[in-house]
Amino acid sequence: MIEVREIGVVVDDVILLAPISVSARRGEALIVRGRNGSGKSTLLRVLAGARKPSTGEARIAGASVLERDPRFRRRVAAMIGLPPLAADLTVVDHLMLVATTWADDRRAAATLAHVILDELGLTGLAERFPHELSSGQTQLLGLALVLARPFEVLILDEPEQRLDPEHLATVIRVLRARRDAGATLVVATHSAVLADELGDRTLHLGVAA
Amino acid sequence: MSDDRIAGALAIWHARNLRSAGDRAFLAYAVVMVLLVAVAPAGRLVWLAVTTPEAIAALTSPSAPEVTTVVVAALWAGALLWGRDRGPALLAPFPTYALGAGGSRRSRAFRGAVLRAGAVVTAGSVAGAGLIAGSLMSHGATGAVGVAVFATAGALVGIIASIAWLAGQALPRAAAPMALAVLVLGALSAAVPLLQPFTPWGWVAMAYPADPSHAGLALAAPLALTALAASAAALVALAPRLMARLALERLIEQAVRWESATNHATIMDFSAAVTAYRRVPHRGRRIRAITPVRLPLAFLIRDAIGAARTPGRLVGGVLAVAVAGVLITLAVAPDGTVPGWVVGAAAGVLLFGGLGPLTDGVRHAVSVASDLPLYGIADERLLALHVLFPLAASAVVLVAVVVACSIVAGAAAGPPALVALALGLLTSAVRVGAALKGGLPPALLAPIPTPMGDFGAAVRMVWAIDGVLLAALAGAGAALASASPVLLVAVAVVVVAVGIRRWRARA
Repeated sequence: MIEVREIGVVVDDVILLAPISVSARRGEALIVRGRNGSGKSTLLRVLAGARKPSTGEARIAGASVLERDPRFRRRVAAMIGLPPLAADLTVVDHLMLVATTWADDRRAAATLAHVILDELGLTGLAERFPHELSSGQTQLLGLALVLARPFEVLILDEPEQRLDPEHLATVIRVLRARRDAGATLVVATHSAVLADELGDRTLHLGVAA
Repeated sequence: MSDDRIAGALAIWHARNLRSAGDRAFLAYAVVMVLLVAVAPAGRLVWLAVTTPEAIAALTSPSAPEVTTVVVAALWAGALLWGRDRGPALLAPFPTYALGAGGSRRSRAFRGAVLRAGAVVTAGSVAGAGLIAGSLMSHGATGAVGVAVFATAGALVGIIASIAWLAGQALPRAAAPMALAVLVLGALSAAVPLLQPFTPWGWVAMAYPADPSHAGLALAAPLALTALAASAAALVALAPRLMARLALERLIEQAVRWESATNHATIMDFSAAVTAYRRVPHRGRRIRAITPVRLPLAFLIRDAIGAARTPGRLVGGVLAVAVAGVLITLAVAPDGTVPGWVVGAAAGVLLFGGLGPLTDGVRHAVSVASDLPLYGIADERLLALHVLFPLAASAVVLVAVVVACSIVAGAAAGPPALVALALGLLTSAVRVGAALKGGLPPALLAPIPTPMGDFGAAVRMVWAIDGVLLAALAGAGAALASASPVLLVAVAVVVVAVGIRRWRARA
């Protein structure tokens, strides 16, 4: 599903990601680990099409990474940092808006939004505004937003951030379900629990610079 | 994603704050009142300004079409550059994220936003062209056909400007070279009239309604309009391809910055609004900014290298300071066409703007002074050390420019150099005061009832632009200093008093 060959990123002579090769099959969870500054987020941004590599090539489902291509966007979902949230939309509004952009059936979009809220234990927060959420709840909302859209590949940068152990367990269960349903997961994490319980393979990145 | 899905998503977005009938009625009332109280008088003022004998003389001068060429080229170049920071394909951050990350083509998702932005630009361009042509018609310099032709040219200029704006957003790296090419070619077309029939900006000049010969309009204008229309149509056809090149991350970044800037501008925090668009450094990272020398020199070097890491900003700031120096020379020895104090005020405003990129260190010192202790030196000393760079840089540039201008003019360099130094010192102090300003004091939110209405809004506006006003007053006072130093001294007292008060009140 994912083929990465000798991808490296250099900006102004600063190495953000030393050349790396890796692959992941359909229904596999690839865990990316490494110290701060090792290039985990940079690798994820390249895979998500948010940054062009200086060297090498990445292919997803046999096609080049091209974030501007709607077919690519249908295939690849990513959460690298929190998406911008609207101060005047509730949690469920946010999910419904994202789901509506992917579904012809508005009621199906609404149903999906509530299903995801339920999965992540956010149902009680559905009518809250972003400023009424804790940092961990905001992180879960960010995750819920990417889950509210279709994908074959899910790219997540430290989804465990700000989560307590109970919510982390919930996230792992939800991600496992996506993986078992055939999605390919690429997850950068500092959490040994998440890596052990979700990962099929682990990629260790050395310090880039 | 179908149009239906986009419409559905936007419907959810727009439904978040539905207005009641009463709110809608009040909004309509407010719009009408603003039109009557603010827009109509401003429009009348502009009309009166463009129909004065001086304005008519300028609009009917033989060089007016060439000036039009340069203005149009500058407009298109500006649109290209502005697109890099804030393009027309933009919604609020969250719908930008939701639609941009959605499955639809970007040309569909952002079509409405681009059309709305393009309509505003085109309407503005038509209004500008109509104003010029209407002014000429009011003095018999052209007829209704001339007005219609130039207004049409204005509409086409607006359409092309909109596409240039979109191109700047979609091709941010190519925008600067393209803008430079447009400007150079525009200036070339203005300088060599033979080129006009072969360039889009030249076609606009050919449609100018006050062609002194009056012979060209009948023949040249239709051809020029046809060529402009064909160019605009070709560019509009490119729009979907340009929109397909829009990158999501850049769109979100633009949306977040725009929202931040407009939010700050709404509460009259213009300094913070401008900060949203401040360039971040990418260059010179291997040059050591901190050197093991005595502190004053170390801070001077640190601020100089820090400023040089955003070279575009630095060059812009230094150029503004240099032009302020030219104006100071003119203000001290006015030629009689414009009063010296007016030129001095303009120099003060320009100097205030130019010092912006040179006072990053001052703003840093203020933020440090407002936070938990960080440096091993007193806050006052830290601020004083960071003031050295803008003082030194502005003094060097101003004196160099003033001396050069005086030598060229064959005048004595001493008086304007002294005025320049005084203005540089005072404007740097105004910059320190601006850095210390903080948020709008709640007391200013209180209404100030007068027989003419609430005066509070005017007070808040003065507070919002106090730095610019003080700089203008300082410039005017500096220009009048040889006759009477009263204004200059009064401004200096106010600037120092405001600065001390804000320093004491810092968070």
